[in-house]
Amino acid sequence: MQSSDGETPPEAPRLESADLPTAEGQETLPTYTGPGFVTNNPELASLTPAQLYELNQGLLDEAVPQRPLIDQIVPMAVLRAEYENGSASFTKQIDYLVSQSYTGIRRTRGDGDCFYRSLAFRYVERLMNAADPALAVGSAVSTLEASLPMLEAAGFQKLVFEDFYDTFVSIIKRIVQPEADGTTLTPLLLLEAFQNPEVSNSVVVYLRLLTSAQIRTDPDSYQDFLFHPELGELMTPREFCETFVEAVGKEADHVQMTALARALKINFSVAYLDGRSADGHVDFVNFNDGIQDELEPLVLLYRPGHYDILEKQSEDTVI
Amino acid sequence: MDARLRRVNKEIADCKNDKSSKIQLDLVDESPFHLKGSFPGPEGTPYEGGRFEVDIRIPDSYPFQPLKMKFITKVYHPNVSSASGAICLDILKDQWSPVLTLKSTLISLQSLLCSPEPDDPQDAEVAKHYMTSRSSFEETARYWTHIYAGGPDPKAKDGGSGGGSRDEVAMAGLEKAHVDQFEALGFERGKVIDVLRRLNYRGANVTKITEDRVVEELLKP
Repeated sequence: MQSSDGETPPEAPRLESADLPTAEGQETLPTYTGPGFVTNNPELASLTPAQLYELNQGLLDEAVPQRPLIDQIVPMAVLRAEYENGSASFTKQIDYLVSQSYTGIRRTRGDGDCFYRSLAFRYVERLMNAADPALAVGSAVSTLEASLPMLEAAGFQKLVFEDFYDTFVSIIKRIVQPEADGTTLTPLLLLEAFQNPEVSNSVVVYLRLLTSAQIRTDPDSYQDFLFHPELGELMTPREFCETFVEAVGKEADHVQMTALARALKINFSVAYLDGRSADGHVDFVNFNDGIQDELEPLVLLYRPGHYDILEKQSEDTVI
Repeated sequence: MDARLRRVNKEIADCKNDKSSKIQLDLVDESPFHLKGSFPGPEGTPYEGGRFEVDIRIPDSYPFQPLKMKFITKVYHPNVSSASGAICLDILKDQWSPVLTLKSTLISLQSLLCSPEPDDPQDAEVAKHYMTSRSSFEETARYWTHIYAGGPDPKAKDGGSGGGSRDEVAMAGLEKAHVDQFEALGFERGKVIDVLRRLNYRGANVTKITEDRVVEELLKP
């Protein structure tokens, strides 16, 4: 059974109605007797195979537990296996990433927040892995503190963003400051925090607000790039931010990614695994080049419509 | 304290401290997650002078999920169901953002009363009325504001909200002459009102819909 979460391109081809098996002994309509389906129900018998298929998919979506908001690292071989019966251009590109010493990917749920969630997780993780965590944490926290006036200048009410800010900053501070129970942040606690919807979504929303505030308070730098993704029309910074940055589940595009890199004063790159390269190499696009820090690189993996984290650590050494 | 409760408490306090917006929030029962909001109808609209109440439910994953709102007060508006009070507004659906609050969402409802979007209707009959004859639509909306939201009586010259019985023809946004015309053919008045409302027998439509067509509808059981 295949869940239709849309995260594993290329997807198995969807069954056409004509391909659906015709059950023996049925009078008129061919009836789908696929997994988990009861066909002796008169209401269902009147549906066309296509309708039944859709209904069945709907049931499967509800029955199959969703992917965690963010998952453990899996080796590149697992990703490669998903494409082995599909497109050779994808497997070639995965082999290329392995040759560049990428060892695994950490997946996020395909809920429209995947860019922000991937970035946030990796952002905290590399502070934790820094050679001098106290310095890295101090620098990150002061950047975030300094962003608060920008949020107010963008017109956000303090009561709206303060809880999200506190949640994000307290995770970062916990790298060096023990909680009441004496524990500091570990890889496992970080993963648990980002799998908790309230904590994870608070961090995602804070990054959305930072992105929006960066665009709203510096309109000259962005206004020529604020296109409606479907209509292609230019939008005002306010319209763009309300519709495509602040609203829940709206995917990030280049403009949002650029703005967020500037707001966080970080650089990151995105590896495009799109099956389009003739020789199998993978294009990396850098955002906010020129920032120098001592941290591990922050690299995201893009597959059409979805972002995950690319890691150079193996699953044996970390959670 | 639970994050949702902390946020809702802050929002309620913020609304209480803001006298300028004239937006009010009240608890419905013991739960802080079921509220009643109300706001004045915007000036310069048929809703002016009325006060509109909204039922508000705060979902478990608020503020990551949208507030659930519907009008308690009956409203004659293309984007509000005249029967159930259900609201068609993008921020209550896929345009929801956690930056929105109880207050800002109620202000958005107030603005929706100023600028109907008949192309994306919640109530198709009301939207047709709006598209066919704006003046007749506004007259009906004003009458509903008087009857349901305590607005001024549009018929009283001094603007006072006089009592009097409810005028079913005005409620349906129809002309008395049209209703009288078909009632004179021997049909029951309530049925005539119902059929003419469904046919959108208003404005330029009156000349397009033949008398036979109306009678045909009236004869249906």
